[in-house]
Amino acid sequence: MSQANARANVSRVVDDGSVFMGEQRNLWQDAARRFRRNWLAVGGLLVVICFLFLAAIGPASAPYDFLEQNIVKAFQGPSAEHFLGTDDLGRDVFSRMLHGARTAALVAFSTTAISLVIGVLVGAWSGIRGGLADEFLMWISDLIQAMPGLLLVILINTTLRRPIVNWFDALYEQTRNPFYLNTLWLDYVLVFSALALIGWPGLARLVRGQVLSINEEDYVLAARALGASEAHIMLRHVIPNAMGPLIVAVTAGMGGAIFLEAGLSFLGIGIQPPNASWGSMLEEGRRYWQIFPHLMLIPAVTIGLVQVAFVFLGDGLNDALDPRRNS
Amino acid sequence: MASFLLIRLLRWTAGLLLILFIAYAMMYYGAGDPIRMMFIQGEDFDSEDEVVMLALRKKYGLDEPFLVQFGNYLSNLAQGDWGRSIRLQVDRPVIDIVRFRLPISMQLGFAATVIGAVAGIVLGIGAALYHNRWQDRLTISAVLFINGIPVFVIVPMLLYLLVLQLKLIDVPYGWNGVFHIDSALPIAVISIGILPIIVRQTRSAMLEVKSQLYVRTARAKGMPESRIILRHMLRPVLTPVVTTLGLIMIGLINGSLFVEYVLSIPGFGLLTIEGIKKVDYPIIMAVVVIGTLIIFISNFLVDIIYPILDPRVRAQ
Repeated sequence: MSQANARANVSRVVDDGSVFMGEQRNLWQDAARRFRRNWLAVGGLLVVICFLFLAAIGPASAPYDFLEQNIVKAFQGPSAEHFLGTDDLGRDVFSRMLHGARTAALVAFSTTAISLVIGVLVGAWSGIRGGLADEFLMWISDLIQAMPGLLLVILINTTLRRPIVNWFDALYEQTRNPFYLNTLWLDYVLVFSALALIGWPGLARLVRGQVLSINEEDYVLAARALGASEAHIMLRHVIPNAMGPLIVAVTAGMGGAIFLEAGLSFLGIGIQPPNASWGSMLEEGRRYWQIFPHLMLIPAVTIGLVQVAFVFLGDGLNDALDPRRNS
Repeated sequence: MASFLLIRLLRWTAGLLLILFIAYAMMYYGAGDPIRMMFIQGEDFDSEDEVVMLALRKKYGLDEPFLVQFGNYLSNLAQGDWGRSIRLQVDRPVIDIVRFRLPISMQLGFAATVIGAVAGIVLGIGAALYHNRWQDRLTISAVLFINGIPVFVIVPMLLYLLVLQLKLIDVPYGWNGVFHIDSALPIAVISIGILPIIVRQTRSAMLEVKSQLYVRTARAKGMPESRIILRHMLRPVLTPVVTTLGLIMIGLINGSLFVEYVLSIPGFGLLTIEGIKKVDYPIIMAVVVIGTLIIFISNFLVDIIYPILDPRVRAQ
C-alpha cells in the first residue's frame, strides 16, 4: 500500500507541472492498464455493462407486457413475432427475460448497497474502538460467515414473509391506505435484506483490517499528531486505501447476490410469481424440458453467462487493483 | 494450545446456541402455525376443527410459550430426542428420517470430495509448475469459468446435452446407491462446486513452496523433478489445503441442496427444502442443527489438525 501511495504522490507532483520525469501514471491509470491486458476480464465487463443496460431500458422497451397471457399461443418456438418464443401460459419469453434482468439488477444493487453501508460502519467502528464491542461484532460476523449462507437465506425468506404480509394486512384494515394492499414488492425487500444479512460480514472484516493496518502507518501517526479527527483519518486515509479491495468485494458481492436470488427463486422461495425472475423462469421451464427445452435453456444460459462475466470481472479487478502484484 | 482450543470451543458452542435460539424464534414467530396449515391446505384434514387443532398442538408441545418450547427442545435434543415430524412424514421420529436421508448426501459428498480433491490438487500443482505460462492461465480461467456457473444451471444444461442431444444416459432419478450410473451426474456436479477452492489453495501454496531454498538445494543436487515434487513439495502444499475444509463443507451443502432438488435424490438437501416448504418445525430445526454442526465441527477440526501438520503454527 505504501508503495502505491508513493506512486500516487509522484504523479501528483507531475500533475502540478513542477517535475516531469518521462511518462508517469497514477494508481488508477496503472490499474486500468493492467485490467485492459486481461481480455477475459474486459469481456466480463462488457457482458455486465450489456446486462445493466438491458435491465435499465429493458422493461420499458419490451415488445410485450411480461404478464400478458395468451394461452392459444403457448409453447411457441422463437419466431419473428416472439423473439425467444412463448412459455406455458403464452407469455413472451423475451419480455419476461428483460423483466428478470431488472429483478436481478435490482437485487444486485440493493443488496450490495445495504451490506456495504452496514459493513463499512461495523468494520470502521470495530477497528477504531476495539475492545469488547470489536470482539462481539467479529464473533457475530464469524458466525454468519461460517454458516452455510444458502440455508440462512432460505430460513429468513420462508419465516419472515408471512408475519410481514399479515402485518401489512392489519395496517390496511386500520388505515385503508392502498399502499399496504400491494404486497408483491415485499418479496424483493425480503430477498434484499436476507442477502444483505449474509453479505456484510465480509465487507466489515475487510474495512476493519484496513483500519487496523493503516493505523500502524507513520503518516497516520503524523496526521494524528497534527490533530486530525478519527473521521478525517477515516475519510482521507482509510477509505481511499481500502478502495481497491472494496471495489473487488462489491463486484463479487453483486455476482453473489444475483446467484443467490436466482437460486432462491429456483427453489420457489425467493421472488414469487407472477413477478419475473430468471431463477423462477428456469424452474418453470424445467417442467417441460424434454419437449420444449428452449424454455429451460434460455434462462439457464443467461444466468450462467452473467455469473461467469461477474466472476471474470471480479478476478480481473482483483489482479488490476492489487498494487503489490505489480508486474 | 489447550487454552486456545478451549476458547475456540466455547466460541463455537455459544454460537451454535445463539443460532438455534434465532432459528427457533423465527420459526415460532414467523413461519406460521403448521397445525393450522394442515387444515387450510386441506391436505390432512377437511375442516378447521379448533378442538382437534388444540389437541394436535398439545401433542407436539406447540401450545407452550416460546421460552418453554425452546427449553424443552434443547433438553430433548441433549437427550438425543429430535422430536417427531409434524407434516412431512406424519409422526415419524425426526432422527429416523435423518438417519435415512443424511447418509445419502454424505456418500455423494464424500465421493465428490475425493474426486474434487484429487483433481484439484493435480490441477493446482500443474498450474503452479507452469506459472504464468499458457497451461497456468488456461487452468485458472477454466476453473474460474466453471466456478461461475451455478449448480442449478449446470445440471439442466448437462441434462439437455447428455439426455436429449447425445442420448448418452437416461434421466437420472432418485437414489440407487452411490455406485449406480445415476449417481455419476450428481457426484460430478458437486465435485465441480468444490474444485475451484482446492485448485486455488493448492496453486498458491505450491508457488510459495517452489521458491523455498530446500527445493533449490534438492534440484542442485540433481534430484529428478518428480521426486522433488513428491518428496519435498507435496506435504507443505497439502497442509494449507486442509484449512479449506470449512469452505468445502459449505460447498457440499450448497451443492447437495440444488442437485438433490433437481434430480429428486432423497438426501439431506432435499429434506431441507421439503421441510421448509411444509413448515415442519422439528425437521427445519434438525436441518439447522446438523448443517451448523457440520460447519462448526469442521472448522474446529482444522484448528486441531493444522498445528499437528504444521509445526510452525504450534510454535506461535
